[in-house]
Amino acid sequence: MTSVSDPITAPARRSLGLWFRNQLRNIAPFVTLLFLVIFFSVASPSFLTMANLQNILNQVSITGIIAVGLTFVILCAEIDLSVAAIANVTGIVVAYFTLQESYVNIANIPLSGGYAVVFALLACFALGLVNAAGVTMIGIPSFIMTLAMMQIADGGSALLVRGQIAYAVPPIISTLGSGRIAGVPWIVIVAATMLLVAHIVLTYTRFGRYVYMVGGNREAAEYSGVNVKRIIGTVMVIGAVCSGIAGMLGVAYFGSAQQNEFTPYLLDAIAAVVVGGTSLFGGRGGIGNTIVGLFVLGVLNNGLDHVQIDPFLKILIRGLILLAALIINVYAQRLRETARAGG
Amino acid sequence: MNASEDASGPGGAALLELSGISKSFGGVQALRDVDFTLRAGEIHGLVGENGAGKSTLMKIIAGVHTDYSGTMRINGETVRFRSARDALDAGVGMVHQELSIVPDLSVAENVFLGVQPTRGGVIAWKRMVREAREHLAGLGIDVDPRERMGSLSIGLQQLIEIARVIFSGARIIILDEPTSALSPPEVERLFEVLRRLKADGSSFIFISHFLDDILRISDEITIFRNGHKIVSSPTEGIDKLWVIERMIGVGHEELGETYTGEFTLRPKAEKKVMLTASGISYERSLRNVSLEVHAGEILGIYGFMGCGVLELTRALFGKIKPEGVLALDGDTLRLSNTAKARRAGLAFVPESRRSMLFHHEPIFKNATIAILERISRLWLKPRNERDITQRHVESLNIKTAGVDALLGQLSGGNQQKVALAKWLTHAPKVLILSEPTRGMDVGAKEDVVKIVRGLRDAGMAIVVASTEPETILSLADRILVMKKGEIVREFAEGTVSKDRLLEAA
Repeated sequence: MTSVSDPITAPARRSLGLWFRNQLRNIAPFVTLLFLVIFFSVASPSFLTMANLQNILNQVSITGIIAVGLTFVILCAEIDLSVAAIANVTGIVVAYFTLQESYVNIANIPLSGGYAVVFALLACFALGLVNAAGVTMIGIPSFIMTLAMMQIADGGSALLVRGQIAYAVPPIISTLGSGRIAGVPWIVIVAATMLLVAHIVLTYTRFGRYVYMVGGNREAAEYSGVNVKRIIGTVMVIGAVCSGIAGMLGVAYFGSAQQNEFTPYLLDAIAAVVVGGTSLFGGRGGIGNTIVGLFVLGVLNNGLDHVQIDPFLKILIRGLILLAALIINVYAQRLRETARAGG
Repeated sequence: MNASEDASGPGGAALLELSGISKSFGGVQALRDVDFTLRAGEIHGLVGENGAGKSTLMKIIAGVHTDYSGTMRINGETVRFRSARDALDAGVGMVHQELSIVPDLSVAENVFLGVQPTRGGVIAWKRMVREAREHLAGLGIDVDPRERMGSLSIGLQQLIEIARVIFSGARIIILDEPTSALSPPEVERLFEVLRRLKADGSSFIFISHFLDDILRISDEITIFRNGHKIVSSPTEGIDKLWVIERMIGVGHEELGETYTGEFTLRPKAEKKVMLTASGISYERSLRNVSLEVHAGEILGIYGFMGCGVLELTRALFGKIKPEGVLALDGDTLRLSNTAKARRAGLAFVPESRRSMLFHHEPIFKNATIAILERISRLWLKPRNERDITQRHVESLNIKTAGVDALLGQLSGGNQQKVALAKWLTHAPKVLILSEPTRGMDVGAKEDVVKIVRGLRDAGMAIVVASTEPETILSLADRILVMKKGEIVREFAEGTVSKDRLLEAA
């Protein structure tokens, strides 16, 4: 055990260094975003326009809704690999309970739209509960538990659609997923609202405090009489429900419900949270970081379409950016540790 | 030289000779000018309190600490090990208190760990099993080499680890607390194996807090205090009290007293029983422990490292789920998690500050984590939290720039006060403290003692668990002594002294 014996007041010069070390995880993503915006603005005249900003917002919305739940999960030092699969199956459930065209041969139960939405929400809630039970009651590491859930949810999707494509969704989903109000896409409003609510929950509520404390030092939280398992279980459920909402709106956004249509969102959502600077070791970061991360990814994806670049190179570039973010994430953690141990 | 009472041991030429060994860590002198001789075919007991220097000496012999002054000779030849590997090559092996076995491998694989016999690059299974069986049988250990290591008892696992060290060529074997986890029959079996190995010419250094065990098996015993060797003596004709006296202060009195005289325990008041534990058992660490804690009393629980006190504190706070019954203030407790313990009115400060505080978070978040449920339902009330914390900072004299300073910026003693503060806003019925003053400077220690006594006087029931006799003696009104998971002795009323505490454990 190292006993920490810092002086109470540090000299100004050193405290500035300390501040920088502590803030590296917040500064780095922001600088990256700034750099990307400047680069693409210079490289392409069509990038920095109002229309394109709207494009970017629209493009990051589904990722954003998934990332809201993942932020809770990662802040607790857990991970959820089943987010995209749960989004997929929830989107399919909502279509399953909606009357489809005659050539789409799934349930075709003529329920009023509200019920389909309720069933879909119940479905993702239940899958989240299974994740939570596996992780907290049985003690399966979340990495493995949600890997299994990914398969289970994908299996559910496969059984429900059987290789077909469903197009019809309840009107409310259709509006929220692809409609606009006063020129602003509803899906952007939904994403922004969820980010805002999540930020308020994490910053100003008791539950939010517990999330940070459990992620920051799980043992200390437990010895403080915090019900650690309940907190972890809850974030797993939040992760699944956010994914489910993204799945329902996504089906409307894409205009169809089918197998595997959310696959890229797993990586995008994790990348957004981590690129934004939320610590993979838990307890540090938040919705502000996730928003910056979303824009880094959004600007990158969108900007690469505006410049002359080999489309096949795009994937590689995204991978490299993600790697760089991971390095900064781990490095920032280490700097904090040394800042603490060394003074 | 401190070898004034030295007498030559039985037979045997000097196998390992250390002379003038000194070692310091930073400014702390861990060993001063120590001489030590181990003879061939000898079991040499090593005793001393925590921090007396015996582990440091062993780590020098085993090649773990390479930076020391003085000389070491094996069979008359000067050696200086650069690593534990070096030491093993020279025939020095060590068996740690925490065994380094691989539970998922077979016994044979463990015996041959790292040196499995191969044929054409493939492990020669049959040969390995056969040789392991012969080797173990030669030591009088009867076990199927194909069995999974993890399925064996701790006693057998330890014998197999000793066998491995012997098998790897060690002739000088250091045993660190070998009997602390063993039941009496297992101790017997260990001693039988040691005697047999001794007859075959192996030499042992036997480190232990269990003086009865050491006196029974050792030919010679060396006592350390404050980094000095106090005396080496044949075990023949000396008893436990003689050893304890020398461990804590007799002989070389100029080395500073750790013998602190008589302590008067408080007379048992007819006070209400707050917490009752009956028949608490947990795996190998707790056996049928029963105790009562009264309101307005500090109950000290003392025992050596590994005796079960740590597990007992965790059982009382719902961190582990033992067999047995707990009752608080007359109501039976079912503690399926620590949150239930907290709500019932229990509070716990574990021994490691790392495992009870959030170093990256401001002080006020540390101080209020355990009372959030009382001060906020849904929304946090940061101003309220800061006010509460500010009051603790003032009343406990916590030295900090402010309640928003990060906890990691406080000194150890002030961190410990924050750890206490987090339970004091709403007085718990029972406060459980594990090693409350470990690693603290004198001033901070006194502050903590004062705070804890104040809480006792205000009527709180307090449990103090420690492996340091001083901590227990400076705080406790009544003392229970634990040994190998059981409570073996109670000191209530009258007086108690350190030697009597050590003798009981």
